[in-house]
Amino acid sequence: MKGHLFMAGAFALGIAAFSASASAQDYPKDTVTLITHSSVGGGSDVFLRELSKYLSSALGANVIVENVTGGSGANALARLASAPADGSIFYATTPTFIYTSLLSNPEATYKDLEPVVNVFTDPEVIYTAADSPYDSLQAVIDHAKAERGTWGAANPASLERQLLERLKTAAGAENAAIVTHEGGGDMMINVLNGTLDVGVGEVQEVKSQLEAKQIRVLATFSDEKLETLPDVPTVKSLGYDVVARKFRGIAGPKGLPADVIAAWEKAIPEVLDNPEYKAAYTASDLRPDFIPHAEYGPFIQSFAAETEAFLKQSGVIK
Amino acid sequence: MDTLAQSIQILFTTPAILMASVGVAWGILGGALPGLSPSITMALLLPFTYALDPTSAIILLASTYVGAEYGGSIPAILIRTPGTNAAAATVIDGYEMNRKGKAGLALGISLYSGVIGSLFGLVMLVVLSEPLARIALSFRPPSYFALGILGLSVIVTLSGGSLVKGMIAGIFGLMVATVGTDPVTGGNRFTFGTAELLGGIEPVLVMVGLFAVSELLVQATQKDAPIRVESKARIQFPGWKLAKRLLPSQMIGNVVGTFEGIMPGAGGTVASFIAYNEAKRWSRHKEEFGKGSPEGIAAPETANNTVSATAIIPLLAFGIPGSNSTAVLLGGFLIHGITVGPMIFVKSAAVVHGLYGGLLVASIAQLAIGMAMMGPCIWLVNRPRAYLNAFIFALIFSGVFSIHQSLFDLGLVLAAGVVGFIMRLLNIPFLPTVLGLVLGFLVESNYRRALVISGGDHSIFVTDPISLGFLTVATLFVLGSVGKPFFAKMRKPRLS
Repeated sequence: MKGHLFMAGAFALGIAAFSASASAQDYPKDTVTLITHSSVGGGSDVFLRELSKYLSSALGANVIVENVTGGSGANALARLASAPADGSIFYATTPTFIYTSLLSNPEATYKDLEPVVNVFTDPEVIYTAADSPYDSLQAVIDHAKAERGTWGAANPASLERQLLERLKTAAGAENAAIVTHEGGGDMMINVLNGTLDVGVGEVQEVKSQLEAKQIRVLATFSDEKLETLPDVPTVKSLGYDVVARKFRGIAGPKGLPADVIAAWEKAIPEVLDNPEYKAAYTASDLRPDFIPHAEYGPFIQSFAAETEAFLKQSGVIK
Repeated sequence: MDTLAQSIQILFTTPAILMASVGVAWGILGGALPGLSPSITMALLLPFTYALDPTSAIILLASTYVGAEYGGSIPAILIRTPGTNAAAATVIDGYEMNRKGKAGLALGISLYSGVIGSLFGLVMLVVLSEPLARIALSFRPPSYFALGILGLSVIVTLSGGSLVKGMIAGIFGLMVATVGTDPVTGGNRFTFGTAELLGGIEPVLVMVGLFAVSELLVQATQKDAPIRVESKARIQFPGWKLAKRLLPSQMIGNVVGTFEGIMPGAGGTVASFIAYNEAKRWSRHKEEFGKGSPEGIAAPETANNTVSATAIIPLLAFGIPGSNSTAVLLGGFLIHGITVGPMIFVKSAAVVHGLYGGLLVASIAQLAIGMAMMGPCIWLVNRPRAYLNAFIFALIFSGVFSIHQSLFDLGLVLAAGVVGFIMRLLNIPFLPTVLGLVLGFLVESNYRRALVISGGDHSIFVTDPISLGFLTVATLFVLGSVGKPFFAKMRKPRLS
């Protein structure tokens, strides 16, 4: 038994030596650290840990995940902004890092980070209870126009609320009250018991209720129909121009060298094509949405500008 | 029956017994360290569950929850500092019993009440998972508001001597609860531009400061602390007669714990206080409460351990975590790619049955492991005060720091400690502050949310039947407690 272990160890060392010599250029580093503001088991954490399994071989480096929680992401932002721009440390972007930058006054904001590439988007859908009288988004909007509508968003300063406010304006549904909550679970109860007409959430979040046939999805805010829900129309196709891309990507410290960015632009599409990974992320309703570096910076900028305008308009910030 | 057979079978096919025992031991340790809440104790284990199979991982986490709810009572009794929020009610009589030299008995009562609570909670979890969770589903924002008001009404009986001081303490707690993000508009309130305050002030930090730090400050002002635990104190289980006396209060704990566990947002802390209060109301020895009543330990400790099992009910039935601890448990499920919700009973039945079996082992292991860990705990409190205080101080601060690695949190704890010290000097009780802090956000956000839904019409609070029921009970409760002296006065002349 001991002999076996020794052999296995020697073999592993050999492989390690081989892979080290194979990647004898400047980048990648031996170890790449991916930082998330989410705690262990949270959305971004699961995203990074799944990704890191496949990224290690694609990037030719040891990829580890570190949770820097607290301050709604401000701590993680500060850590990244002061880290060396040598490609050894990255951050998992989500709309949270924009919201935190705009809402509070953190020492480092999204402007201090360099967006690298985007990996996924989480589709946002609008749903209602299975036994509710609404069979389409139009029925919900008509009800809100004629009488009174109650539309639920998980958090007050969130993309979900922003989407509902935009839909309300686009549809001219002035009697729709947008009810905010302390998270998706809270809101789900109120949709299920009929307090709310509809709620907005990520497909992943509402999956278990969907499988149990407790809710029905009326429309999706994605730009195209969803593979897993082919019968669900997009909000845009129903005549309301409200589209969201809730992004999940990678950002690093400012001033990343070109070879680092090139390595990521090569690695991410490669990982996304990995059949094993594809099966895993398709099952959890993540849509691959690779955005190369040249487009990702402007994408984040416009997302931030739109969010800032919304937060100002709704009186959250001045 | 099928469930039972499968649960027992799973016990022998996975290292469930080992996982449950490790979970309970770690839970007791974490629960006993002031500053480490059950959810944090569980969260510290999460990274290690990646390597386990799903059933083992879930058993480990759920058992940690069971152990932590019991562990919280150890420092509550021994050093007047609740190790967990839910053990705050145990401090009242537990510490008084300790002062009377009955620490061993107090710990024994807490332990076996905890075991009763866990076992009862487990039965409820298995039997009621689906039917009872429907009650939680019919809770609307006005119902939650009324639930919070009912919780706050307990302040009337927690105030001790002066109702005015109790109100001051309670309102202070409510004020602290407004710090953070506005629940409706999302704007910042009293955050002074710091990102650390965006999420509000965590009750656990304030509690550690109020209870633990202020106690250390008080002890530092005393020349030689006269309080010493009997060095021979050993864990001691109550005799038959006392056990019979405790039974009603444990039943109250079971029932309260079941209801509070099922209702998201309520949790072990509220359950303990309500159970304490109800046990006092129905007790034949009311006068002993606050002076070292064994029932005052049995009721809250049964309640919070019951919650550790029943809180899982809404998680399994809806995928909705009702507390921080069950949110961490949900994280454990998600890590292993299990979607939690009604379909879990079909798609991942093995994990659910494993969870039931594991909790059974944990409840029983709690007794043995609890006793084994008691010796070291009692030895610890018999060390010279100065050493002990320094040790506790280090423990508290390392515990608090481990939550977010934040120096800001340490400052917050110290500030709360100074506030607590001043409150002690002025004889203002802490418990109303804690209640205000825990319930303030629930009350405020649901009040405002209900009004957004109704379009500003306050009648929503009486047209919602659950809300009406809670508000009525709360009103009667306050009138009954406040009015008591008046009723007594009215009766006296008639008697004489």
